[in-house]
Order: sequence, then structure tokens, then C-alpha cells
Amino acid sequence: MAQTFRVSDLTGIQVRPARLWTHSLSWILFVAGIALYAHFSILRHRDNPEDRVIPSVTQLVQGIKASVLEPAEEDDPLDPGASLMQQVRHSMIWKDTASSARRFFIALLLLVPAILIGLHMAVFPYAGAFFLRFVLFFDKIVALSLLPILFIVFGIDEWSKIMLMVIGVAPTLMLDSYNIAGGVPKEQIVKAFTLKSSNLDVAYRIVLKQVLPQLINSVRLNLKPLALFLFAGEMIASTDGLAYRIAIMRRHMGMDVIIPYLLWVALLLFTLDALLRFTNRRLHPWYQPH
Amino acid sequence: MRWFASVRDFPSLKRIYPDRRARGWRIGLAAFRCSFLLTFLGCWSALAAAASSPTFTVGWSVYAGWNPYFYMAKSGILKRWADKYGVVIKVQRFDYAASLDAFVGKNIDACTMTNMEALDMPAAAGVDSTVVIVGDYSNGNDAVLARNNVALAQLPGKPILLVQKTVSEYLLERAMVLNGLDNQLPRLKLLNTSDSDIVGAFLGDKSNQVAVTWKPLVSEILDQDRGVKSLFDSSRIPEEILDLLVVRTDVLKRPDGSGLKFAKAIAGAWYETVAQIAAANAQAISGSAAASGDSVASYKEQLRTTYLYSTPQAAAQFAQGKELKQKMDLVRQFCFRHGLLGQNVQSVDDVAVLYPDGAIQGLKDRVRLRVDASYMQLAAQGKL
Repeated sequence: MAQTFRVSDLTGIQVRPARLWTHSLSWILFVAGIALYAHFSILRHRDNPEDRVIPSVTQLVQGIKASVLEPAEEDDPLDPGASLMQQVRHSMIWKDTASSARRFFIALLLLVPAILIGLHMAVFPYAGAFFLRFVLFFDKIVALSLLPILFIVFGIDEWSKIMLMVIGVAPTLMLDSYNIAGGVPKEQIVKAFTLKSSNLDVAYRIVLKQVLPQLINSVRLNLKPLALFLFAGEMIASTDGLAYRIAIMRRHMGMDVIIPYLLWVALLLFTLDALLRFTNRRLHPWYQPH
Repeated sequence: MRWFASVRDFPSLKRIYPDRRARGWRIGLAAFRCSFLLTFLGCWSALAAAASSPTFTVGWSVYAGWNPYFYMAKSGILKRWADKYGVVIKVQRFDYAASLDAFVGKNIDACTMTNMEALDMPAAAGVDSTVVIVGDYSNGNDAVLARNNVALAQLPGKPILLVQKTVSEYLLERAMVLNGLDNQLPRLKLLNTSDSDIVGAFLGDKSNQVAVTWKPLVSEILDQDRGVKSLFDSSRIPEEILDLLVVRTDVLKRPDGSGLKFAKAIAGAWYETVAQIAAANAQAISGSAAASGDSVASYKEQLRTTYLYSTPQAAAQFAQGKELKQKMDLVRQFCFRHGLLGQNVQSVDDVAVLYPDGAIQGLKDRVRLRVDASYMQLAAQGKL
């Protein structure tokens, strides 16, 4: 059944756009962004063929090649006969991604207890009384301003960066999981007790089980703050990592490497987010937010 | 009973002021119109002024050798010279990195920078630039600091806090080379640390034994920790870390000649300012100290380790001499070795430097940085 498109549909709520429409509409902004970039890049290169502020496609390709195939400047150069796989394994971007990812996942792991604390705050009144006020206060502390203290306490190596991420994101996650877990109807809990549940049963098998998809979504939303804190830490003091490379490249306007790096980070975050979303759907098919 | 009268009590007035609230509204409207008109007039007159005399913007950042730009603008010296040449010169303070970005992005016409950044930022990015003023060189402002009596030979393997790819790394490399430790260079473990946090990170954690930084951070560290000693400083490599005023070449070459006027005006103003500082004029020194919020004592201490070319004669002579070429060669080789000239630059000669005597360091058709001594010379001859 072919529906004819009318202009008034654009402002309609009760319309079902055809598949072709939704697909083509969703790419318009991407195309506009790329076109805008190309326009300014061409403009600047006409004025100055060596412009580095908005690199051209050839510059970008060269930057990508350098970051994917060549070892970082501070590392030893590879033998000329190295295979492609070896080249990639020893490349700048591989090394930076590995060290950033390590920090990222350690921090993510350390955030699991934060979620559980939030759950306990919501379920156990004494835990709530103990934590809530402090967490509310601590949530408002701008974590970046604590950095000098973190340096002193955790040293300048890995742990200060990881703790910056944890301290920056944990209070938000705690409060969010507190709110989510608090939204479980009281009747259910009472009902569980009448069916001879223990306290821990209620906390973990009634409340946690049904709020878990929401908690995973909360983590998904916090991926970006997490990356932000990781970048802040790496830019301030480090010897490797994605943001370290960006900070170094900025010193001589190496936008031909910075832009591929930014896109790579975006892709990584997108993949992680998609992975969590996918897992969520597989684990909790009953959860249908909309 | 009301003790005050209202418009309503005087019906005849009601014609003029139908309501108190309406009256307030009208006054507000009138004020709004006035302010609108004033803004418009203001904009218009500013536009008119801009149209009649070309405007130039100079970016500067906090550093002992550049703080005088702040005083120069504030004291009216700059305005006097700008008026003489019929141009308008604005002076704007930036963070160092941001000032370079703005210069490369062509948002400002002139900028203060070191010889190293002049090569690896504008010149390497294809923005043809001209050195108009050689202001000073770091004569101890940059230093390699270490605690526990660590010596240069012991540096390999220890984490070294510094802002990588800046003059700090250059200084460290020169320190190693001059002490015959070239072969140890690859074994240095550099820890890129932002200048905003390097003091806290170094002082806060005693396991960090080495840091390379600049003043006033050096003084802060040395003052707060008696166990820290300076292993090497830039007074051992005089004339290598130069602080310059760089103007975009296309600005200088503007067909209406306003760029030349601008360069002359700023050179004239600069040497008048520097002469005051060299003569220890209290106002000039406190005005320059205020630029970075330093105390006069602290600023004087920084000036002691900054070799200011206080006369245009000295600056012009150095710019024309052969030492400059030798020092610049060290710097450009460093930039090339560290990839600062760009990922795709195959040879150090791809970013060439033109000197006042016409000599070119690098490929003839790839001149990107020009040292122009003529403005310093004009100042020396009193012809500005």
C-alpha cells in the first residue's frame, strides 16, 4: 500500500514515514557536516596549500597511515620487513588504545561497587542514612579540581587517572541507581517477604534483578563522562594513551592525526555502547522502555 | 486613607500618563530606544574609525620577556606610536598554546613566540611568518630540576616530568648532548605533564625526582623544596631559546603599506618600553609584573635570567650575525627529529628560514620563516 507524501506530514505526529524517508533523513546531518568540513578545508587550502588546521583528505589519509602503521615516535622503529599485522600491533594507535582501554576498564570495574552501594542505599534504610547525604554532597564536587590531591595520594602514574574517573562518575552512578532502585513498588517487597524471602533475597533477587536493565542504561549514559575524565587525566600527566597523543599533536597542530584519533575514540565509545545495549536486550527481553 | 497621591487623583494628568504602570513602561521604552541609538552610534563610530585606520591585533602570553607588551599597551606608549603611523594596534593576552593556534588560524596578525614554535607552528603549517623583533633569550629561565642529588648521567630510567615537545624537551636534550650523554637519549622516560599541574605533581610526590620547566614555576619549586637542585639551565645554552615577535608575512606585505606601518609602530613602541625596563623604571617594571600577577620582586628575579636585548642595536646585530644561523640550525634539527615539522615532512630543509643577509637555511622555494632585521635596524638608527 503506497502512501503518498504530503508536506503537511512533516509536522504531523500521527504519520509513519516510509523506510526510504527515515533512512535518507537520518544521513542528512552527516552529509551536511562532511560538506561543511570539505568546504572549509578547500577554502583554507586554496589560501595556504600546507594548512594544518583543517587537513585535506590526502593529509588525513597520511595521518591515518602514520598512526595505524608506524610505531610511536618514542618507540623503536620496526624492521622494514615487518608484516602488516606486526606493523599494526606496534603502531601508535594500537599502543595508545591499549593503555587507554586498560585505564577505562579498570575504572569501569571499580564502578560496579558504586552501583551496588546505590542499590543498598535504596533498599536498606540504615545504608541510606549512612551514605545518602554524603554522596549528595560529594556529587557536587568538581572532580577535576581534586587532581592535585589525587596526584599526592595516588602518585602521578596510573592510579591517579583511574581514581579521577572513579571519583568523577561514581557519585552520579550511586545516586542514579539509588533513584532507580527506589522506584521499585513497595508492595512487591512486602509480597516477597510474605513469601519468605530473606533481606538479601529481596535486595538482589527482587530489586536488583528488575532494575538491572535500567542500571546498565545508566552506565551507558555515563560512558562519556568516563571518557572525559580519562582524557583530562591523560592530558595532564601521562606517557601514553589516546589523549596523551592528542595533547602532544596539539603542540604542533597535528590535526591530521588528531581528527582520526577523535573519530576512533567516537567509534570505540559507540561500539561499547552498542555492545551494552545489545547485551541488555539479550539479557532482559522483557524490558521495553518504549 | 491613602497618604500619597496617584495619577488617578488628577484626571487632567491622565491624558499624559494614562496609568502609572504605563508611564514606567514608557520611560523604559524611551531608555531602551536611547540605549539602542547609543549602541548604534557607538558601533557606527567604531566602524568609521576602523575604516579610516587599519587595525592590527598582537597576541601575547605570560612570560618575563613578553609581559612588557601589557605595560606597553596600558601605559599609552603603544598608542602614541600607533597614532604616529596612523594604525590601530590592539594587544590581547592569550594562553601560550591558544595564542599560537590563533596566529596559525590567522585570527591575529602578530604573536609572541619562541624560535622553536615559530618554526613548528606557523612556519611548518605553511603560514609564512616574519620575525620582526628578537626580544630576548632565555638565560636561565628554563631549568632541569632534580632532587636527591641526582646527576644528569642518572636520568635514564627515571620518570622526567615536563611538557613534551616544547623548549623544555629541547633543553633536556641539549643538557644530555653537552654532557656527552647523547647515547642515553632514547632511554629517557618522559612523562608529559601539563604546566598547570607540574608544580603540584613534582612537589607532592617525592618519588618524582626530575622535572624540566620554566620560570616562575622553577622558582616556585626551588622555593618550596630545599632538596631540589637545578642540574642545568638555559644560561648554559645562551641565544638558543629566543623569544620573538612574529608577524604574518602577508600582513607585512599588504598592498596599502599598512602592515609596514604596523611593524614600525610596534618596533618603536617596543624599544621605548624596553629602554624603560633596562633603566629599571619602577613604573615599567611594576606594570610588566602586573601583567602576570607577579610581585615586583618575583618579576625582577625572572628578568635576571632573561637576557633582554635592551637596545635595538644589540638585537639587530644578533639577528644579522652568524650565531643566529647556528642556533636556529640546532633548533630546526630538533624539531625535525621529533616530527614537529609535520608527519609528511621528509627533510628538515622543507621548512626553510631566510636570514637578513639573504642566506637561506633549507630549500629556496620553501621559505616559511623570515628573519627581518630592518625594523630593529631602523629603531637603532632612530629612524622610526
